[in-house]
Amino acid sequence: MHEFSIAANLVEKLSEFIRENPDKKICEIRLEIGELSHIEHEQLRFCYESITKETPLEGSSLEIDKIEAFVECPHCSYRGRPKYWDDILAGAPVVTFQCPACGKTVEETQGKECAIKSIKFSQIEPVPS
Amino acid sequence: MIKLEASPDEIYDIELEHSLLEANEKLAKENRALLDQHGTTAIDFMGAIGSGKTTLITRLIEKLKDKMGVAVFNGDATTSNDADAIAKQNVPVVQIATINGCHLDANLVGKGLRKIDVDKVKLLFIENIGNLICPAEFPLGSKGRVVVVSVTEGPWMVRKHPHMFLGAQVVVINKIDMAGAMDVSVDDLVNDVHRLKPDIKVIPTSCKTGEGIDEVAAALLAV
Repeated sequence: MHEFSIAANLVEKLSEFIRENPDKKICEIRLEIGELSHIEHEQLRFCYESITKETPLEGSSLEIDKIEAFVECPHCSYRGRPKYWDDILAGAPVVTFQCPACGKTVEETQGKECAIKSIKFSQIEPVPS
Repeated sequence: MIKLEASPDEIYDIELEHSLLEANEKLAKENRALLDQHGTTAIDFMGAIGSGKTTLITRLIEKLKDKMGVAVFNGDATTSNDADAIAKQNVPVVQIATINGCHLDANLVGKGLRKIDVDKVKLLFIENIGNLICPAEFPLGSKGRVVVVSVTEGPWMVRKHPHMFLGAQVVVINKIDMAGAMDVSVDDLVNDVHRLKPDIKVIPTSCKTGEGIDEVAAALLAV
């Protein structure tokens, strides 16, 4: 369950932001996760919620944008979406590295992302003394 | 409880563009630079528990240890069985216990590199945890990745773990001496791998009869 390590990295990065900005409360985190990464979105969400329970990050929402895979072929100069293996028995079609145009091996150009894209935060009102 | 929520105009947005895998990738690059500096090639072996990774590495060591310096890192969640088996070959072995972790990472491999005399090692075998999903996300600094599949895992091993093959350079279809008994077609497994990645090197082997082992050794040295 490598989603836990990724969620822990995410919390570490967000905690850094909170330490530097103690007057701000993070309410939304937007992640970009590539189609070619092996990260299960729901498991990541579950790990994030478990780690942030009873911390200043509790209740913040995790929005995940899926980044489509793109490939290019060094043999025939094809650039575009990869070829999918539709009848592979899996729940969803699987990306292959077979060139849709010439059948040789392509290289990925997009789709391995696993990054924090942006965060939304609000200003915490100072408690009047 | 009074709950106060910020209205949309009180919410601020900032772009961070921070990769969550960056820390591991950075360490993997450092491992690779260290290995390159010493002229050492590291190969990462991935495959399910029982696919024959340890036996394959043992056969390769038997072939290669008199010709060049070899060493092994054995990733294992709990036991030292694999490291003990390989230690009988009298080559440097580092047992890396992940303590229930599902993959090796570049930090653990970096620690391992500090335990051996890298200068004396031409070929470093890194045996990953027997898991076909998690290790794909964590580069270690190796020059090549090998996936080991055996016919005893049934006919669907490639289709069930397609992502693992996309990042590998060599695939070993092991235990082919058992193919008849298992009623599994080696050709079908080879075709499945090529459907995912046409130029990948696929080598059918039997660690029992020795078939294909020379070819694997040559493929690793050519990575």
